Amino acid sequence: MSSNRSLEPSALSTNDLPWQVKYSNDRCTLCGQCTAVCPVKAIELAVFRKRRIKTSIQPRADQVSQYDIFYGIQQKTDVAYACIGCAMCTLVCPNDAIHPQKNPGLDRMKFHINQQGVPRRRGGRRNAEGSILDRIKFTRISMLTDPALDAGRHEFEMRTLLGRVLSPRENMKRLREKGWIPPVREIYPLIIGGMSFGALSPTMWEGLQMGVTYLNEEMGMPVRMCTGEGGCPPRLLRSRFLKYVILQIASGYFGWDEIIHAIPHMKEDPCAIEIKYGQGAKPGDGGLLMWHKVNKLIAAIRGVPAGVSLPSPPTHQTQYSIEESVAKMILSMSMAWGFRVPVYPKISASSTSLAVLNNLTRNDYASGLAIDGEDGGTGAAYTVSMDHMGHPIASCIRDNYLNLIKIGKQNEIPLFAGGGIGKNGNLAANAAALIMLGASGVQIGKYVMQAAAGCVGTEEDRCNVCNVGICPKGITSQDPRLYRRLDPEDVARRVVDLFVSFDTELKKIVAPLGRSTSLPIGMSDALGIDDFSAAQRLSIKYVV
Amino acid sequence: MTQNDFIYIPGKREEKRIPSRVLEEIVHQQIRSGQRNLEIEAFGQHGIGGRLWDAGTDPVNIRIIGHSGQRAGSLGTANTFIEIMGPASDDLGWLNAGAQIVVHGHASNGVMNGAAQGRVFVGGSIGARGMTMTKHNPRFDPPELWVLGTAGDYFGEFMAGGIAVVCGYGSQPEDRVLGYRPLVGMVGGRVFVRGSAAGFSEKDAKQVALSDDDWQWLKTRLSTFLEKTGRPDLLAAFSMRADWILLTAKSPHEKADSPDRSDMRYFRKQIWDRELGPGGLIGDLQEIPPGTIPVIAKGDLRRYVPVWEQGKYISPCQAACPTGIPVQDRWTMVRTDNVDEAIAMGLSHTPFPATVCGYLCPSPCMASCTRHQQGMVPVNVRDLGRAGETVPPPQPEQKTDRKMAVIGAGPGGLSAAWHLTLKGHTVTVFDTGAAIGGKISSVIPGSRIPRKTLETELKRIRELVSDIRLNQQIDAKEFARIREEYDFIIVAAGARKPKTLPVPGIEKACFANDFLSDAKAGKAEPGRQVVIIGAGNVGCDVATEAHRLGARDITLIDVQKPAAFGREREDAEKCGAVFQWPVFTREITDQGVVLQNGDLLPAETVVVAIGDMPDLDFLGTFLGVENGFVTVDRFNRTTDPKVFAIGDVVAPGLITDAIGAGKRTALVIDQIASGKDIQGVLPLPVVDKSRIHLAYYDPGKIADGMAACADECASCGNCRDCGICVAICPEGAIFRVEMKKDGFEYRVDPEKCIGCGFCKGACPCGIWDMMPNTPV
Repeated sequence: MSSNRSLEPSALSTNDLPWQVKYSNDRCTLCGQCTAVCPVKAIELAVFRKRRIKTSIQPRADQVSQYDIFYGIQQKTDVAYACIGCAMCTLVCPNDAIHPQKNPGLDRMKFHINQQGVPRRRGGRRNAEGSILDRIKFTRISMLTDPALDAGRHEFEMRTLLGRVLSPRENMKRLREKGWIPPVREIYPLIIGGMSFGALSPTMWEGLQMGVTYLNEEMGMPVRMCTGEGGCPPRLLRSRFLKYVILQIASGYFGWDEIIHAIPHMKEDPCAIEIKYGQGAKPGDGGLLMWHKVNKLIAAIRGVPAGVSLPSPPTHQTQYSIEESVAKMILSMSMAWGFRVPVYPKISASSTSLAVLNNLTRNDYASGLAIDGEDGGTGAAYTVSMDHMGHPIASCIRDNYLNLIKIGKQNEIPLFAGGGIGKNGNLAANAAALIMLGASGVQIGKYVMQAAAGCVGTEEDRCNVCNVGICPKGITSQDPRLYRRLDPEDVARRVVDLFVSFDTELKKIVAPLGRSTSLPIGMSDALGIDDFSAAQRLSIKYVV
Repeated sequence: MTQNDFIYIPGKREEKRIPSRVLEEIVHQQIRSGQRNLEIEAFGQHGIGGRLWDAGTDPVNIRIIGHSGQRAGSLGTANTFIEIMGPASDDLGWLNAGAQIVVHGHASNGVMNGAAQGRVFVGGSIGARGMTMTKHNPRFDPPELWVLGTAGDYFGEFMAGGIAVVCGYGSQPEDRVLGYRPLVGMVGGRVFVRGSAAGFSEKDAKQVALSDDDWQWLKTRLSTFLEKTGRPDLLAAFSMRADWILLTAKSPHEKADSPDRSDMRYFRKQIWDRELGPGGLIGDLQEIPPGTIPVIAKGDLRRYVPVWEQGKYISPCQAACPTGIPVQDRWTMVRTDNVDEAIAMGLSHTPFPATVCGYLCPSPCMASCTRHQQGMVPVNVRDLGRAGETVPPPQPEQKTDRKMAVIGAGPGGLSAAWHLTLKGHTVTVFDTGAAIGGKISSVIPGSRIPRKTLETELKRIRELVSDIRLNQQIDAKEFARIREEYDFIIVAAGARKPKTLPVPGIEKACFANDFLSDAKAGKAEPGRQVVIIGAGNVGCDVATEAHRLGARDITLIDVQKPAAFGREREDAEKCGAVFQWPVFTREITDQGVVLQNGDLLPAETVVVAIGDMPDLDFLGTFLGVENGFVTVDRFNRTTDPKVFAIGDVVAPGLITDAIGAGKRTALVIDQIASGKDIQGVLPLPVVDKSRIHLAYYDPGKIADGMAACADECASCGNCRDCGICVAICPEGAIFRVEMKKDGFEYRVDPEKCIGCGFCKGACPCGIWDMMPNTPV
């Protein structure tokens, strides 16, 4: 830093930055690995002046004052080059000489990260640590009451239904009259939520699909993954693996012509169609794939020019009311596969979601409702949307489920919960809590990125640069120099690890409830929380 | 053993079933009273035959007829021999600690659950969860379970020791002799099976070949088992070694070595790629080589690559110099012992190196020096300029057939003429005055520039530019003629028309230029009190000259904060000149200047120095004019493509501005004349000062002398050829190349470079930059 610099308003010191690079000159070998790997060029080699003074109190002695120089690693303080805390430097440093540290005080970055009048955009998460789901306990543990099951020994059928389940009377009637019976899929209750080909790197996306396929074909677990809005590689559309895939359509309609072209050649129907109306991380804000990530491949799959930013509008352009959106979209998508494929909307959690649900219950073709809570992740969003908009998933799913009970349809239209499930690593506990609050299954995104590919994002605003395509782990980058750091096989292996261990944990939770063949959906008498107000709000037990 | 040896104990009394507790008491009483053979007619009582430790080591025989209840023989001890004459209920031999039990029928669920010793022979089949949780205590023989028929589901769960033999009698070849999902959680023991054990937990158990010892053991015990269960006839059928398999537990080591999942690499190749096609998911769209790349990559895989940007940027001093003199190049020449060349080079940029760079210029180059970034004193260029006084003019390029006219022989016009001549063009300079040099010669005080220096440099200009026509009357007609005769015309007539004030008594004042030229010619007598209206640098020159000529009470007034700066202002202040502002002149009288507020500033001489305007009458209506100045674009082109305008006719400025404009315009005209793109004359972008590293310099040092100045120059954007980059590169990727024709280059071996940017970080001159690598 120049000692003589002028203090423009955004002149910051490392003390003002959210992440401070701690560096030990004593340990550093000046190998250049840290500066080579830094995704945001936050650190650089710098030349330092060191004054050496040798004095003596003897009269007329030689008093020495000299300058030496030395080299070391220095952190840049420009807002544009602020350290993101990813710690890739620490990862590559052979001498443990460098690591980023969260500013222990209050950083001032928020006040300056709007240069040129552009508010902050980022990928990642809400950066709020707390989670009501983590506080929910499973307080009903059957000792001698229910048939207590052994998670390690008993066999479990951890399955859920995706699709419209008719009432027994109606079902029988249609069977008798050879009427249309809505398609229902029996699937694993943990779903990989919509992350697009484009938001994710090709290696990451392929790894996830490969892992899902492996789980289905080698482990007998009917795990499903949603494509997100970005189309689907043509080969996958024409393979038998398509049945493990939930295709998403959203307001940008990217890649749908390829899907339409592939329909006559499909060996299998897709698992389901998800119509995205909203995303929990940024409700009311549309999708966005920033130009950094739209390379030739992504452009080809999406049917757009390369190198342009791709917004999906916050609303579907030709739909002006719930009735119209739901009826039009669900019907069109159902028709595309001859009413053989379940079609359901995904909305961001909101105080208005009951209105959507009520509408769906009156629509025979609606196969379910996915609700995405405020703790969901995103590839790119305005920070204000991410941090300040949205609704927690727990109370939203609960309200919707209780409403279904009120109208007697709780077993007929499944709810799927997403957003922040496992955000602090407690995946099975969070999933089980939501299931017992009323979800038929849960969708995860960030958790998969962390567990299956080593995403370094945390709730304290670490990394979060998914939007600009410089993901140091190659998860959300379209630059081969980054995404080739990731091997799809390794990702697939970790996906399998994640699901298999989740399965064990879920069994550990449901076995003491005596459940082995059906999920304890809505079994809220098993839940307790040590917060009275939360207990009241969620209609579960207050336990202290 | 004979019938008579047994005491009969009925399980009923008066047609009423005896509770398990009471039957247990009766049995124990009999044992304590010395009975060792009991026949019990059971009615489902719990745990018959267990816990007979009261008999000490004496063998006790229990025969159970009727309905044996749950947990017969449970907690049995080694002295106990139980024979159940019919089927057995659940948990037969539960926690068996040594009892031998024979069942002449089937046994239901949980046979031998948790047993650690003893033997159970079942002459039929068993239900679910047989041989589960069994142990083997090394102080005793292992527990054994023999089953003639088949086992039910979940056989051998968590089996930790003991031996089970399941003969599979009566089963079909396709039947699973061990039932559904046997041996889950097995950690010890052995299971002999005659038939299929399909579906056993391969995570926990493994099938091994029977050794000769195993077979010997099995064969010997088989006959005992069949004897006891009354089926010796089956011995021959059961003695086919090939019909038997042996299952044992996997060791933790074996479990770790053989994960229960198939290999993902295999899956990818055999299933994934086979269904999707070669290259997998997007193999049809893009090739992604298999495997991963290192985080620290070289060659094409680097994200950023270093670029040696020598000659891509100009230094801040050069950029700040209106004449565009590459100051840092000159210091480089000094450092490489080309002092003469460094001095002479000035003449290829200005005809006035000594007069202007050495004396008159306020040196914007030094003001913009990168060294200021750290409060360090800039390198002094004045000496370099002054040394240019005695250098002969450069050799012009080959003569062209183009004729150029320059109107005005001031600094701008002479600069234009100088450069056009150097480019080989034929130049004619026209001026209305009697001498060349414009204001430098006529109005700039002698105190600021030694007469000899100025005359030497003017003489040198005359040597190069031979056709200078003085005392010319140039009116519109003459200008039109010149315009016709010459290929290009540069108007550099300067601003000679003083601006005046609309106040009464203005005629009593004189104008600054007149005063200065009179002063220079020794004709001015200002008196003691002088008021100068207009406190710019010209006003300061007036003050200094007035002082030289005897004035002692000098006041400069202005309506705004004085614009004077630098040497001119310092000199005026040294003369005791007083600045007053904001003040407004009401009138000028014989007593002096009367201000708006009524104050009188007494003055013998009042000088107006509020600037000059060009006199553009001679241009007629040829050119566009705005606010009294000729309209030009950034290439100094007027509205007439043949005519260019520079200097004060365009806008008021420094002498060096005019000289720079003269040079630039000459180059533009030369480009046009030779059919080249005029964009080529635009200067390169200036180097970002943050790229220069000043830590290499002693911040306290003030360079004295040319060699020291050259050392202290940060050489911004101009390689010092120090080789620090070669030394700092951690991969040894940078090397120096001596060029055949011109100088040297530093280059990077891409196969060694990791793109760390250390070269950029260490380069004193800011030559290295890191650029994003070409997209793959």
